[in-house]
Amino acid sequence: MKLNFGVLAVTGLGLLAAAVPMMAHHSFAAEFDGQKRIELTGTITKVEWYNPHIWLYIDAKNDSGGIDKWQCEGGAPNGLTRNGWTKDALKKGDPISISGTLAKDGTKTCNATQVKLPDGRRVFAGSSGGDTIAPTATTTTVGKQ
Amino acid sequence: MKMRFSIALVSLSLAALPAFGQDAPTAPAGRGGPGGRGGAGGRGGGAPAAPAKPSKPTPRLASGKPDLNGLFQRPYVPNMTATSPRGDQKSSVKELPFTEWGKKQWESYDVNNLVKSGDYTGACLPFGLMRSINSPDPIQFMMTDDYFALLFEQNSWFKVIDLHKKGHDPKAIPTWFGDSYAFWDGDTLVIDTNNFNGRTRLDTNGHPHSNQLHLIERYTRTDFDHITYEVTVDDPKTYTAKWTNTRIFTLRPDWAIIEYSCEENNKGLWEGRITVPKFDDEN
Repeated sequence: MKLNFGVLAVTGLGLLAAAVPMMAHHSFAAEFDGQKRIELTGTITKVEWYNPHIWLYIDAKNDSGGIDKWQCEGGAPNGLTRNGWTKDALKKGDPISISGTLAKDGTKTCNATQVKLPDGRRVFAGSSGGDTIAPTATTTTVGKQ
Repeated sequence: MKMRFSIALVSLSLAALPAFGQDAPTAPAGRGGPGGRGGAGGRGGGAPAAPAKPSKPTPRLASGKPDLNGLFQRPYVPNMTATSPRGDQKSSVKELPFTEWGKKQWESYDVNNLVKSGDYTGACLPFGLMRSINSPDPIQFMMTDDYFALLFEQNSWFKVIDLHKKGHDPKAIPTWFGDSYAFWDGDTLVIDTNNFNGRTRLDTNGHPHSNQLHLIERYTRTDFDHITYEVTVDDPKTYTAKWTNTRIFTLRPDWAIIEYSCEENNKGLWEGRITVPKFDDEN
């Protein structure tokens, strides 16, 4: 298999390293597999700006040329607000790239650890992921690199 | 747009991340700051650091006792045995002195696989006192000479302590946040709490406690901007000796408490990734 760091570009690595550890009000690893990373690129179809986590819904193209519908969990709106996010930072129709980890239940659900905004800024979705850090992980990249 | 599915090792990126499971350092100053966490929010925190500035003397109430009023940023403490290299959280132990019962509780708890055993915090049940103190969100203290109230942004919980109460209430029912009374030890407010319902864990990592848990908390406002918080865990059923954890809270006059309803959109629970635990109330 070809190595593909995709969205995890050098600049992204720096942001990832600076931004962790992340917080969780409960165990991240209870829901998500820190060893299975995902890169998604697509279009936002919905944003839910509620506690305990924001949710981003994305239509991402798959290898077959079709669309896969994903849902990705972010941080709590309280903390995101203190970090400069607003409810309107992401809107339906916006292009978006998300780096995250896969849910353990096998659905198209992820925990977003980094989000690239339409204006090009890379920010953390601020979700958990830090109760355990896997020494290695696999990454699946979906979408245009 | 050509899609590429590739499997990549990201050991390089993850190697750059601080080891986390057993030691949860705070974010670098300037990003998360003392007591803060990096990242755009985390699950409720990870906010920018308070700007460094010279502090002022400890404020005082009309009685002359230290005034603990204020909204404070706190270090997130998922592991109470960890000591931060940054100095804003410190444990008296690296390995906990478990009793046989306590060790069994610890070894049988898999924080990475809670679907079977249930995740009470993920299910938005009360965190209990210790885990609420450990949580990443800010806390507001409201204090008079009569009452000390803790307003947790985390799930909008609160606890009120009558400062004239002289001891524990023998008729109190066991609760998530316990039964407390308080007294002054010089300029330190000491809060003594017992009668916990035993349904919680001390921290996110799952360090256990029993319904015999007895917490002794010491709040010392060392200057206008800081409170040193020390908690002693006294639980002879779970631990063979008392142990302490100390941390520093930082005043954030630029913040306000924001409502936090854990229940309003808990998709993890609704979609089955989180389950509600069944409790053993005998312990």
